[in-house]
Amino acid sequence: MEKVIIIRYSEIHLKGKNRGYFERVFHVNLEKSLKGLRHELHRLSGRWLVEKFEAGMEEEIAERISRVFGVHSYSVGLLVGSGMDDIFEGVRRVAPSAGTFKVETHRAYKNYPLTSMEVSAQIGGRLLSERPALQVDVHEPQSTVYIDIRENGRALVFGSFEAGVGGMPVGTSGKGLLMISGGIDSPVAGYMMAKRGMQVELLHFHSYPYTNEGAKQKVIALAEQLSRYTLVTRLTTVSVTHIQEEIHAKCAAELNVTLLRRFMFRIAERFARQNEMKCLVTGESLGQVASQTIEGLTSSNAVVTLPVLRPLIGFDKDEIIERAKKIGTYETSVLPFEDCCTVFLPEFPATRPKLAFIEEEERKLDVEALVEEAMGTAETIEF
Amino acid sequence: MIYLDNAATTRPDGSAFARAASFANECFYNPSARYGGGFSAAAALNEARGSLLSRIADAAKYELVFTSGGTESDNFAIFSAARRGNAVTTAGEHAAVERPFSELKNRGVEVRIAPVNRDGSADAAALLSLVDEKTALVSVMHVNNETGAVNDISAIARAVKAKNPRCVVHSDGVQAFGKLPFRMTNEIDLYSLSAHKIGGIKGVGALVKRRTLALSPLLCGGGQEGTLRSGTENLLGALDFAYAAEGVFASLSSRFERVRALQARLWGELDANLFTRISPENGSPYILTVAAAGTRGEVIQRMLWEMGVAVGTGSACSSKKPYSRVLEACGYGKELLGGVLRFSFSAKNTEEEIVEAARLANEAVREFQQKV
Repeated sequence: MEKVIIIRYSEIHLKGKNRGYFERVFHVNLEKSLKGLRHELHRLSGRWLVEKFEAGMEEEIAERISRVFGVHSYSVGLLVGSGMDDIFEGVRRVAPSAGTFKVETHRAYKNYPLTSMEVSAQIGGRLLSERPALQVDVHEPQSTVYIDIRENGRALVFGSFEAGVGGMPVGTSGKGLLMISGGIDSPVAGYMMAKRGMQVELLHFHSYPYTNEGAKQKVIALAEQLSRYTLVTRLTTVSVTHIQEEIHAKCAAELNVTLLRRFMFRIAERFARQNEMKCLVTGESLGQVASQTIEGLTSSNAVVTLPVLRPLIGFDKDEIIERAKKIGTYETSVLPFEDCCTVFLPEFPATRPKLAFIEEEERKLDVEALVEEAMGTAETIEF
Repeated sequence: MIYLDNAATTRPDGSAFARAASFANECFYNPSARYGGGFSAAAALNEARGSLLSRIADAAKYELVFTSGGTESDNFAIFSAARRGNAVTTAGEHAAVERPFSELKNRGVEVRIAPVNRDGSADAAALLSLVDEKTALVSVMHVNNETGAVNDISAIARAVKAKNPRCVVHSDGVQAFGKLPFRMTNEIDLYSLSAHKIGGIKGVGALVKRRTLALSPLLCGGGQEGTLRSGTENLLGALDFAYAAEGVFASLSSRFERVRALQARLWGELDANLFTRISPENGSPYILTVAAAGTRGEVIQRMLWEMGVAVGTGSACSSKKPYSRVLEACGYGKELLGGVLRFSFSAKNTEEEIVEAARLANEAVREFQQKV
């Protein structure tokens, strides 16, 4: 009898002929998330089994599994022999001692001498005679004991299902580039794309010395927290200091932010293309701030041809905060380090900038040279 | 690196540390242990205690309690002394005093805050007018850490005691100890010290207290420090603090004169068109605070760091709390508040460093003005 963790996956069964590919990626991701812990990972039909881990490590393993996209649910259970006595021994370990219960049996091994119903009835009966405080209730039991009879003389016994994060294995939906700012929204946007299987790479813009070292450390901390889900452990930073100075010196103040964002999108797209990333991802939410009006979004989109995915576009701030708290990035996001220095912020930013005006102002700058220069400041941090 | 942020912390005195470390390494025993090694450790600790105390007060009237630093000393003093009635402080205090006073409010003590003058010194007359027969505690810092303004704490204490002899008077002396010539007069009851502002290591401080004053401890436990501060004594830190103090007090007046010349030189070299002086002329020479109107101190600070100069600042580049609470209380407007820089000296700074730092500060501000 051995403690094991049973992992069931979601949506992969929908993938027809690509199923093998999805399962391989899922397997690799599970292994990544369990890195550093002794274990063996085996596939059963339609599920994975984590076995042979050190005693007492099941909680840590379950915690890590709970963050892997593609996991539909998981259970901590026991691997036992498939004889009725062995099964009953396992059931005694996971069954409650009082209250109402039922036994639910599933047979993957269809040649088992008893039917599922018979197994449930016999095991339930033995349990009842041993524990008088138990009562059977097949409709709304307080607890359920699950028995899963596998091939090769083995069975799984467990007492509960824990919900996984769902989604699809990271890496099965291509690579995208998240523009991560240090605020609350962008990590959530990254999480949501990773949930749909995207490998989310990270790009952060800073304007040192107008912004500080603390802001960068904060983004690295966010990236680390996010990586528990996205499994991406690197971050590239690019300096837009000179660009901000140039815009400030030459262009209309109210367009400051609009113009800077257009530069950020250009740089992001160039970086994405160089690194085979197929889209840009941002944490923008419609109307949240001056630059996130439909006019603002349009002006940024106008300088790129890669698709820009904005998974939070229809979310309220409250909804985003709730998700950030769940993911664990919220506390870091609200640390008081500005990622964009107030020095350059206009008092009244344009909320509905006209494209013609933007382009006219932009002609005062050597856009290509500034983008190239910024690309030269790219630094990749592995953590 | 030209280090001009000595009010934040100082470079440790290497020889003091080596001396302290070598002793503490050998004599590692618990000072409370009742065998030879323990007694040796306790004796060394008490020697350090006596040595430190002798720098500042009369051992017949005062005693010294080791703490984990200035913040703990301030908290200890304030929470011990102010339990009822009202407590008075100034708008110029360090957060280690200001925050405990906020907490006092929650504990039902009435808090009265005296305004500060434009240089950050306490408005002594206003402060005095807040003291009445119900005042349990008055806390006034000795040297303002943001401007260098010096409060005549002896005179203030005397006037407070004249009005209410039972009132406890505390002063945060963190920026004064080992820098200004000063000895505690009878009217001051409590005085906070920190080791790392004078070449000691971080994590050590002391509260000097009048012997006859009863305090209740913040930390209870094994009863160390005469039951006033439980926890196994930090022998390494205490020795290091005493040795570092030995060094600075041996040459306190020559250092004072030297630093005064450095401060004057720096002010002379800074471009008068760019900088406004915040520090008073008669303040501590160890601090020179200036403001470059319309700039951001924090940004200039980082530009200077990249140029090889470390300085302090009066503001954080944050949209939520952009300006120094203390300098706002001094009555400065936004133009200057945003661009505050604090240069703070050590006698180890050279004149060349000062000239170079001033040149770079001028350059950084010009660059900022040109770009922003």
